[in-house]
Amino acid sequence: MATDKQSSAAVTATAAAGGGSQGEPSRRPRIPRIVGLLAALAALLVFPWMLPSGYWVDLAVQVLIWGALASAWNIAAGYAGGLSLGHAAFLGVGAYTSTLLFLELGISPWLGMLAGAAFAGLLGLLLGALTFRLRGPFFVLATLAFGVVVNILAVNLRGITRGAAGLVVPFDGGWENMLFASLEAYWYVGLALVALVVGTTLWIERSRFGYYLVAIREDEDAARSIGVRVVRWKLVAASLSAALTALAGTVYAQFVQYIDPSSTTRFELSVQIALIAIVGGMGTAWGPLLGAIIVIPLGEILRAEVGGGPALMVYGFLLVVIVLAAPRGALPGLRALLRWIGRRGAGG
Amino acid sequence: MLGLTDVTVDFSGLRAVDHVSFAVEEGQIVGLIGPNGAGKTTTFNVVSGLVRPTAGTVRFEGEDIARLDPADRSRRGIGRTFQIVKPFGNLSVLDNVVVAALTRGHRVAGARDVAREALATLGLESFARSYARGLPLALRKRLELARALATDARLLLLDEIMGGLTPTEVNEALDLIRRLNHDGATFLIIEHNMKAIMQLADHIVVLNQGAKLAEGTPEEVAHHPGVISAYLGQPVEDAAGAGGSDDPA
Amino acid sequence: MDLALQIVTSGLLTGGIYALLAVGLTLIFGVLRVVNFAHGEFMMLGMYGAYWMWALWDIDPYLSVFVVVPAIFALGLLVDRLIIRRTIGAPEVTVVFATLGLSIFLQNAALTVWSADTRSVTTGYTGTAFTLGEVRASVPLVVSFGVALVLALALWAFLNNTRFGKAIQAVAQNRDAAALMGINVQRVYMMTYAIAVAGAGAMGAIAAPVFSVVPRVGLSFVITAFVIVVLGGLGSVPGAVIAALLIGVVQSVVGFMIGAAWAEIAYFAVFMAVLVLRPQGLFGRRGAEVYQGA
Repeated sequence: MATDKQSSAAVTATAAAGGGSQGEPSRRPRIPRIVGLLAALAALLVFPWMLPSGYWVDLAVQVLIWGALASAWNIAAGYAGGLSLGHAAFLGVGAYTSTLLFLELGISPWLGMLAGAAFAGLLGLLLGALTFRLRGPFFVLATLAFGVVVNILAVNLRGITRGAAGLVVPFDGGWENMLFASLEAYWYVGLALVALVVGTTLWIERSRFGYYLVAIREDEDAARSIGVRVVRWKLVAASLSAALTALAGTVYAQFVQYIDPSSTTRFELSVQIALIAIVGGMGTAWGPLLGAIIVIPLGEILRAEVGGGPALMVYGFLLVVIVLAAPRGALPGLRALLRWIGRRGAGG
Repeated sequence: MLGLTDVTVDFSGLRAVDHVSFAVEEGQIVGLIGPNGAGKTTTFNVVSGLVRPTAGTVRFEGEDIARLDPADRSRRGIGRTFQIVKPFGNLSVLDNVVVAALTRGHRVAGARDVAREALATLGLESFARSYARGLPLALRKRLELARALATDARLLLLDEIMGGLTPTEVNEALDLIRRLNHDGATFLIIEHNMKAIMQLADHIVVLNQGAKLAEGTPEEVAHHPGVISAYLGQPVEDAAGAGGSDDPA
Repeated sequence: MDLALQIVTSGLLTGGIYALLAVGLTLIFGVLRVVNFAHGEFMMLGMYGAYWMWALWDIDPYLSVFVVVPAIFALGLLVDRLIIRRTIGAPEVTVVFATLGLSIFLQNAALTVWSADTRSVTTGYTGTAFTLGEVRASVPLVVSFGVALVLALALWAFLNNTRFGKAIQAVAQNRDAAALMGINVQRVYMMTYAIAVAGAGAMGAIAAPVFSVVPRVGLSFVITAFVIVVLGGLGSVPGAVIAALLIGVVQSVVGFMIGAAWAEIAYFAVFMAVLVLRPQGLFGRRGAEVYQGA
């Protein structure tokens, strides 16, 4: 994955943002590259069937959904620099919009997820318009407040959301309703979701938009002074990030088939989205997915072995240690490790 | 090219700039000098758009730009550097300049060519792949100028780019500015290094406590009684040696 | 009329309790430029301290303050040494998420050790009330209010009338200039953090007879305290006190008229409006909002 570095524009942007080395990427011949990609794709397609039990497939799907959520957050936070603590609101908007459209009007969640994304995109735009001027802790607190308000609304607008009782997605199986009897099917949905969000991020890294976002993150005044329309691009990033988060919200709802305010819009979920991206590596395309691969199974194992409280203690501890010792996350370290292995392999 | 008329800036009761008017003609190098707190940087911010004037007009090539966003002013041809440098620290030196070229409508590949050219002009090619935050101060100042050049700015605002430079580096900077000026760029320069600005500028504007104290050729300004008293009673050229390099940045 | 008075009174009383939490939060921000997400957890620990001293040894919660405050103060010193001082000058993500991680850690440590059970302190004065005309006010709430305000005022007096208090203010205004004047900035940071979290611990102890004790109790309090602190102007101590009383009254009045959930929405709406229109807060000085995390 990390070797996907042609001499494109993104090389230095990725390396600089992610803390990777500035060394010239090794260019492999084209044919083995394609073979490698095909092999990786094949491995991903058969992966769930290799797992020992449904428990592991379930876990793998969760990794994908959380990886997508964290990647979507990363667009606004890691690239554009807006550290949001309210992203669970967009998860909730996605989950509730598609589920309500399905329950009340019988609209397929495939369409419902687009409606949810559009709604969340608009909300993200609104939140962005209210907060684009705020800096540092003021921005963080404003997004936190937004998330809390959406949570309170989800609990209290009982006429629409059924409040704390939640919504059950009736099992009306079939791909047209994004409801499957086999867990493996959700793996493919999750894979498509991750491909969409990470693919969008990779595109951003190589595009004019991505350069602008990183410049805005690094120094807004300098960015404006060389002609970057800061407000416009911040709003686009906020809206895009919100919309992608909502898509993941719909997939989540279809996967667990029951949503309530606590499982979709709680403050802690906003924190977990951010935590995953930070652990893996903010401002990099693959970091948030790596974060999900680390954090979700770790949390699951800890919950099973020592219980929920201690598991979250470890989350808290991990977060403190990572931001103090390695604020760039695990990805730079992993890249260095892979290079080292590569060199050893080549050298001996 | 640039004209300020009666520009006034108030910051919560404090008057930072007080009815300042002056003009910069195309092809000129204009120096903006004055003691600390005279309102020089605020005046720059008014021109580049980071500060809205409380009153007064700012015209650039005949157009009133006082209400325009900094990005739009950049797109009209105004470029600047910052007294306290603002590189995009976690980007490579090359990418810092690429961002600037992108705002001029280049595609990414084209922007890289423009950026390489700007880096070459400023002798920064060998640092292209380094992180901007790792550069020494003198090079970070040059990087800001490279960014401005990559936007094809026709009016360049330089805020104390010689502060903290060695005499050799100052001479290099002077040569560079003259060369760019020869190629058609117009300059408005804030400088504490009095010797350097007196050599370089065609025209000098002196600010003191927010108001314009004097303006004219370097010769006229250096012997203006008000300017001499503002600089502690010494003729300005002498004051340059004593107080020219106490740059806070 | 009497009903209105009653509602305003109970709002003011609750607001007074928030004041102590908000003052500490605003002080930490003003001096260290750190938003202390773990602030509510120190309050939670104070509550558990008071609860266990009452449950195990029958010590009155108000007396337990004398044990809780030094204990939380010491914990504050430790947290400063291990975490807070490493965040000064660090990237914004570190500043925000280090205290957030600490909050998650402490909350779940409490959950692990003391379980999620709701606990409450019952004393001789639980359920009793003062009556003035038609207005009734619960005794523990009045006492908590009184103690909280006295402590907040004491902190204010300490900041303005002692050498060390003035050093703290000097650092808040200009860290570099204060360091040049010979003030030990590191020590000011450490003491400010410890004093502020000890205040949160004290608030927890005196609020123990009023509110139920659960591991998550800090979260809801601290989110309200953020609202208060922004309204009062991040960094402004008197602003925090006034805003706390204001939010208490808003909560009580709107809560009575259309329900508690809508009261929360109402003050979050005010919060957003203040952030957007007047980010220096209702009583704060301009300038704080342009602070940049890195």
